[in-house]
Amino acid sequence: MAIANLHVVADVVEVSEFPDLANRYGVRGVPQTVINESVQFVGNVPEAVFRQHLERAVSAG
Amino acid sequence: MAFMSEENQREIKTIFEQLDHDVHLEFFTERESPIIIPGGNCPTCKDTRLLLQEVVALSDKLHLDVHEVTTTGEAARQQGIDRIPALIMSAEGVQGKIRYFGLPSGYEFSVLIGSLVDVSRADADLADETNEVLSKLDKGVHIQVFVTPT
Repeated sequence: MAIANLHVVADVVEVSEFPDLANRYGVRGVPQTVINESVQFVGNVPEAVFRQHLERAVSAG
Repeated sequence: MAFMSEENQREIKTIFEQLDHDVHLEFFTERESPIIIPGGNCPTCKDTRLLLQEVVALSDKLHLDVHEVTTTGEAARQQGIDRIPALIMSAEGVQGKIRYFGLPSGYEFSVLIGSLVDVSRADADLADETNEVLSKLDKGVHIQVFVTPT
């Protein structure tokens, strides 16, 4: 998504190295994805599901 | 000590034949010091740097730029980096920003290799529906994916 759109910043974070982020987002399982601080989900989801989460995050402002 | 065996290097060289545009890897790390500070600020910075040096040596389309910074350093501030080790990958045709924080080891190493190929080809390979959602974006979206090495 970040390849395709200039508004997107995509980060991969090694959670064991940054426990402060793990605590901040309550990371329990991996991969855990956080979009705009507002939407979180765990697991390697299909693109259509990811898209729904993205839309939810965008509409949440 | 090399991170990759000769066999790994051969396999990755084959994968890198798919590279298209040159990829620029901006790597942010701590300043190297001859003094060992127990529990120093960035225990994985040195290994990440060595690993990336090995990776870029496998293709002349990969270019590594190392920035030794404090987390409040100017280069880091400009790129919005607030923790290290950090890697930003870019290439012609790539619109947004793709970053990696930490040492990409274990399974994540293959994710890194795959990401370099995708970035080089500027190929997101997304469904039409996803491209439509993205085309309507008019403000920033920050996606963070938390992973572990295994």
